[in-house]
This record gives sequence, C-alpha cells and structure tokens, in this order.
Amino acid sequence: MRNRRNLTAYAFLLPSLFGVFAFLLLPVAIVAGVSLFHWELLDSPTFTGLANYRRLVHDGGVRHSLLVTVFYVLLTIPVQTILAVVLALLLNQRVRGVKFFRALYVVPWMATPIAMGLVWSWIFDPANGALNKFLSVVGIDGPAWLNDTTFALPAVAAVQIWQYTGYNMLFFLAGLQGIPAELYDAAATDGASPLRQFVHITLPLLNPTMFFVLVTNVIGSFQVFDTLYVMTEGGPGDSTEVLNFRIFQTAFQQFDFGYASAMAMLLFALILLITLLQVRYFNRRTTYDIS
Amino acid sequence: MKKPAIYGVLSVGAFLTLFPYLLVVLTTFKTRSDLYSTKPWLPAVPPSLDSLHRLADSGFLTYVGHTALMTAVLTVGQLTFTTFAAYAFARMEFRGREVLFWCYLATMMVPNVVTMIPLFLIMRQLHLVNTWFGLLAPYILGTPYGIFLMRQFFRTIPTDLEDAARIDGAGPLTVLWRILLPLSRPALGTLAIITTVQSWNNFLWPLIISSGDDTKVATVAIATLRQSIGGDYNLMMAGSLVALFPMVVIFLSFQRFIVRSVVLTGLK
Repeated sequence: MRNRRNLTAYAFLLPSLFGVFAFLLLPVAIVAGVSLFHWELLDSPTFTGLANYRRLVHDGGVRHSLLVTVFYVLLTIPVQTILAVVLALLLNQRVRGVKFFRALYVVPWMATPIAMGLVWSWIFDPANGALNKFLSVVGIDGPAWLNDTTFALPAVAAVQIWQYTGYNMLFFLAGLQGIPAELYDAAATDGASPLRQFVHITLPLLNPTMFFVLVTNVIGSFQVFDTLYVMTEGGPGDSTEVLNFRIFQTAFQQFDFGYASAMAMLLFALILLITLLQVRYFNRRTTYDIS
Repeated sequence: MKKPAIYGVLSVGAFLTLFPYLLVVLTTFKTRSDLYSTKPWLPAVPPSLDSLHRLADSGFLTYVGHTALMTAVLTVGQLTFTTFAAYAFARMEFRGREVLFWCYLATMMVPNVVTMIPLFLIMRQLHLVNTWFGLLAPYILGTPYGIFLMRQFFRTIPTDLEDAARIDGAGPLTVLWRILLPLSRPALGTLAIITTVQSWNNFLWPLIISSGDDTKVATVAIATLRQSIGGDYNLMMAGSLVALFPMVVIFLSFQRFIVRSVVLTGLK
C-alpha cells in the first residue's frame, strides 16, 4: 500500500522531476565540470584543472564587472524597496480610487524588458529624447545619459526601478493588510507618534514580506540582462559591463565556454552567499509570525 | 498625510508609470521628420502609419506569430505538468518529499546565464539549435516557481471533500480533475498569466537558441531593430508597441488575478 502510494506520487512528479533534473540540476553540474576545461566552441575541450579560476583571480576586467554589478545592486535595491514601501503605505489608505492606482502601478511589471529598454533609450536620447528636451525647457543642459560613463549605469537602474516598484508595492500592501489594526489603536492610546508606530509596529511586522522582496529582487538585480542588452551593451567603454553580461559575451560572442563557465560559477556563488546572508539576518530578526 | 497631497503624489507616480507607454504610441504614429521636428510628448497631426507599414514589411509579424505560438505551448505545458507536481507535493506522502521540495525551491536561485551555457552545449550536441524543440524544451515541463505557487494554493483547500470522494472510490486523478482543479481556477488563472508574460517576454534563451528565421521570436527581432541603421526610433517604437500591446490587454482583463497571486505567494 505504502509503495503504491509512493509510486503514484512519483508518477505525478515524473515530468517535472525530469525537467528540473535535465534543465536545471544537470546544467549546474555541467557548468561546474566545463569550468575545469579550456574549451572554445570549435576546439575539443582540454582539461586544465583550476586554470580558469586562477585566470579569474588575476582578471582586471572581471574585477571591474564585479564592482559594476555590486554598484548596480546598490543603485536599484534600496530605491526600489523604499519607493515600494512608501507607495504601499499610500495605497493602504482609505481614499477613493486606490484600487485604480494599485492596478495601474503594476502595469510596468508585464512590460517586455527588451521593448522597454528601447523605449527608455529613446527617452534618454541625448539630443532629441524626452528627458533632455524636458530638462532644456526648465533650463538644464542634460547629460548624454547612455553615452556617458557616469550616467549610463544609473539610467539602466532607473528602468529597473520603474519596472518593478509597483509590483513590489503589491507584496508590501499584502503585508500591511495582514497587520492587525488593534496594534495601532493600542499604540495611539499610549501616545505613540505615527513615525514611532511605523518604526516599532509596521516595519518589524513587515519583516517576512521584506525578506521575500529583498531576496527575490537582489537575485534579479544580480542578473540584469535584457534592458542592458538593448540600452548599453555593456558600454560606453565597459562602464555597464555587469558580470552577467560579461559571462554572456565570453560564452556566446567569444565562444570561450570554459572561462565563461568559471565566471558563471563565481556569479552563482556570489548570489548564493548573499542570499544565505539575508536568510540569516532575517531569521534572527523575525521573532513573531503574523499568519 | 492630507488627501490632496496623497492624490498629488499618486498622480505624479501614475504619470511616471505611464509615460513610456504614451511615448511608444506617440512615436509610432510619427514620421521620421515629425520625430525630430516635434516635442516627444506631443502627438503628430495627422498620425502616420508609415512605421507600422515598414515594420510589417520587415517580416516582424511572423516573429510575433512565433512568439504567440511559443507562449501558448509553454502556458499549456506549464499548467499541465505543474498541476501534477504541485498536487503530489501538496497532498501525497512519499519518501523524500521535503528534500525534493527544498531542491525545487533552491533551483530558483540558479542564475539564468549559468544554465544557458550548458543548455546551449546540450542542444548543439543534439542538433536542436534553431528548432522549436530546442526553444520550448527547457520550459515546457513547468517551473519550480509555478509548482510552488500551485502547491501553496492546493494546501488552502480543505481535505474533507477529497476524503469523501476517496471513500467513494475515486483515484488521485479523479480527485485532481473533479475536485481540486475546479476549486483552483483563481490560482490556475494566475499561473497562466505569469507564464504567458514570462514566455512572451523571454529573451536570453531565444536569443541563444533561435537566431534563425524559422523560430525567431519578437523579442529577438526587436533587439535586431536596435542595430538598424541610424537609430530608427520610429521603427523601434512600432516594434515595441506590437510587443507591449497584448500584455497590456491581458493585464487590463486579468489584473485582479495578479493582485491575488501576490497574496498567494506572499509567504503564507
């Protein structure tokens, strides 16, 4: 009986198990393996042990990409998260039309990133784009944005913030609505100011939501690709060359699969480490369960 | 905060949210000379269909057709296989369930670009580059995210109904088909929308695996518009309009599902 139940369950799982194995787990194992070879597409692979990793350590370009990646994550995540919380607080009020605004702010989440990358390139166009035209109306001489090594990365970051703030707002809104109103009533009776209430009630009780939003968004930010591909292609120079993009170029434009695999392992390790740190941080801080 | 201030902030936010869409529409219906002689935020009078005609002439609609086909097949695949797997995880007891489920969750952390390299090498070995099979295979059996979403939903449905059905001799397939699925319409709708959006917008894998015309999808075609001579923004915006429009329509029709999906996945 028990065996039969096991069998039915495995039968139901089989297609998805095959998918997860063949298209996720096996590839990770292959990347780990390939990273130990020197392999350019048309050559046959030669085993070189840790040579690719030694090359990584001494590669100034990779170090630069790591810095750009971290900078990009630091540009996007705080702004995106704070804006989402503020929006959620506003849309948690009882005012007319909140449902309309709630839905409206989520629209960019579905936008095709490749298409939106082009649209924003047009907005950031130095001579004729909407942004600089607008700035010139108010008497400011705007920079060349995507053609400027200082402004290119923040411009790409702005697109991500535009695309995901509203979607993240939904999670915070759901979190806010799970906080019992009595807590605020009690705090107000004790004379706590709205700011104190926010710091001592709202923020701590949003911890599970914060955890989910931060973990998923950080993983996403580390992997920015589509918008970058159409907006800057890593340029100007290598000012927006994040690690994810360098891996793509090394593998699919230079066909240096061994070295690209070593870089991919580095990115994977980095994301894993940051995620584990976040898990630890939030495990220590989330002491109560609101569900 | 006072009400007028709230509305003020919300309206500014709404404008920033919608402006890129507005710009796509405005630019698409301008001629090349209008583009540089008018302010970007002003419409051209009369509107010109020139960009859309040129877009159609470039074969773009074929690639949109490919995208639609890919999206339909992947959505059906995801709904089917995810339902089975999620049912097993939510309702059946079997050896290794917890470990397997955590494995599934952990795979969500694997960066896309990490799996792209070996997947390309595998498909190349199997001569599946530039084929429909190569394009669809990695996603058609469902995703860990979808399984997670459906499992969470199945677990909110009380077991009493199933127990009753089982006493009457119903097998797991009957229980799934007759009892769980009819009760799961909102979750299935959510999953369908999420999959549709992701498939429609997918770029990296199609870029790698389907550069040939027979399987090229709209996102890849849009990226090549970028390389068109002299930064032809009218054409690029026309392409973007065609790619963005269906998703906006889907959004407007199903937005309450999406809001609900957030509550569903929101950690409960």
